[in-house]
Amino acid sequence: MRDQIPPDLRGRRARDPFWVAASALFNGVQRIRSLREPVIPAVKPVDRTRVMLVQEVRREAADVVSLRLGAPDGRMLPAWQPGCHLDVLLPSGRRRQYSLCGDPADRRSYRVAVRRLPDGSGGSAEIHDTLVEGASLTVSEPRNAFPFLVRDRYLFLAGGIGVTPILPMVQAAHRLRADWRLIYTGRSRDTLPFLDELPAERVTVRTDDEHGVPDCADLLADAAGAAVYCCGPAPMIDGVRAAFAPTGGATLHFERFAPAPITDGRPFEIELARTGVTLPVPADRSALEVIRDALPDVAYSCRQGFCGTCRVGLLAGDADRRHPGDAAPDSLLPCVSRATGGRLTLDL
Amino acid sequence: MSVHLTEPENLVLQARDVRFDWSQVPLHWIPGDPVATHLVNVLHLLLPAGEEWFVRVFKEAVPHIADDRLREDVLGFIGQEAVHASSHDGVLDHFMEQGLDVRPFVRQAEFLFEGLLGDRNLTGDRKRAWLYERISLIAAIEHFTGVLGDWILNAEALDEAGADPTMMDLLRWHGAEEVEHRHVAHDLFMHLDGSYPTRLRAMAETITMLATLWHRGHRFLMAADPVVKGRIKGGVHHLRRTGPAGLTPDGRMVAASVRRYLKRSYSPLNEGSTSQALAYLASSPAAQAALR
Repeated sequence: MRDQIPPDLRGRRARDPFWVAASALFNGVQRIRSLREPVIPAVKPVDRTRVMLVQEVRREAADVVSLRLGAPDGRMLPAWQPGCHLDVLLPSGRRRQYSLCGDPADRRSYRVAVRRLPDGSGGSAEIHDTLVEGASLTVSEPRNAFPFLVRDRYLFLAGGIGVTPILPMVQAAHRLRADWRLIYTGRSRDTLPFLDELPAERVTVRTDDEHGVPDCADLLADAAGAAVYCCGPAPMIDGVRAAFAPTGGATLHFERFAPAPITDGRPFEIELARTGVTLPVPADRSALEVIRDALPDVAYSCRQGFCGTCRVGLLAGDADRRHPGDAAPDSLLPCVSRATGGRLTLDL
Repeated sequence: MSVHLTEPENLVLQARDVRFDWSQVPLHWIPGDPVATHLVNVLHLLLPAGEEWFVRVFKEAVPHIADDRLREDVLGFIGQEAVHASSHDGVLDHFMEQGLDVRPFVRQAEFLFEGLLGDRNLTGDRKRAWLYERISLIAAIEHFTGVLGDWILNAEALDEAGADPTMMDLLRWHGAEEVEHRHVAHDLFMHLDGSYPTRLRAMAETITMLATLWHRGHRFLMAADPVVKGRIKGGVHHLRRTGPAGLTPDGRMVAASVRRYLKRSYSPLNEGSTSQALAYLASSPAAQAALR
């Protein structure tokens, strides 16, 4: 119905003469142009990854190493700014994101730091166990999901290895002669990397073994009027978000590498109706992630349920809807919603 | 060592889960100036249908992209545009509650974006050519949304005129995200097609389309307004007053930006300021609330 010429704006005619004329003109031009066979230029693939050499591996704390990476021929690297991260493609095929924590003025090397996660999915263990000086590593261009803005006053909150993006921000704030403070939290002093690179007079170290688990309201006690940059474990970021109030023009900035972890997830199956393929969705993955493994070109965006980009037709099955925006009975947002059990048949 | 930070670059684009409460926003949200109010309101009539069209076209383009970084940018762009569309939809519902029946014009906008510019049941190369054609139009439209976004971020005259803060936050949040992602549509067009004559044609078609829709939309709103009741005739000629007064974009400013677009060396990154857009997003009540 929406492709029919609409009534005019005053409701006098069933077909607005303006749109009759505009359609005739536009469709006429399209028809004339379609007399020639279209020429579709070939799309030139762009590869933005580069192979880097591990120049130095350094132990920074009990379970943290830093890697200094440079081009094999020593040439200049793409510029970056505080808050940028690299996608690192490990020899096993794992892809991990690490914040750049060196000096942006050093155009010949990048530094990343990695904490060994004993319960992680193996990326950090692979770096700790297999990467030595002289090894090579494929990385992406720097990208920024945590942009650092010029302000007069900063409060940096870093939890453990979350200090990595904060380090270049601290340096930049220092160079801007801004009024800045850093509260650096962690289990104990020997687990905190880069303490030696931070000026002690502006840094408050709060470790669980000496001060107990920090209260987020305490961390934010000095936040009025400041730009608060927070990076740390997910519970710390969530706590700071909940406790933050924009007093005196304070603003909150944080970075999330991954969507919020799935709570109370149960495994289920999805059937892709157009191909008949059935895929298992484990308890700790979203249906969207599983779909993307099979169909890499499927569109999605926010991965939190609110933007609706990944919405897909639901042909059969009982949905466990996990976002208020996912209410239509014949569709599903696979980035958040799941099955109550059994199988969902999707129009894909 | 320089103490100046360069403009933030290589941003990862993320949609923001904003919400607005329209209940306190007056019909004439620029107080005492229905003419300027409705010149801006035309945007609300066009954007839901227009931005949903952007989303459909760009989703169709994703499988053709052979550049991981551009694909990420396009996916981020799609999410931001989808939230823009639904936010402006909320304004239209509020207009209806205040006795301004916008449905006839919205129906025409839907015809444009879903009918004339919609899917044409083509196949093969013709389908691809029609996709590229529409991407070229979106790239030209996005030039204007970036320029308008930069304008609204700096439109102090609207604050001085007492414009409603909720409406200003919607327009500035939207404008700031338009500035933030202003390069994506152009990058996508250059990656897939990149033809200069196509860019010129798309700009000519876009100017014709936007100028006509703005004129018709304003005339419609002035006639349908339950207070004005057609006593002032609408039309883009009102820009001659509201533009220099700073209440709406100024024609000369827009014309100068079009001359920059027409250069082969055009880069959307030279329009507007990323750091200003990010600074607004950091303090926007709606965008800040979305973080919590």
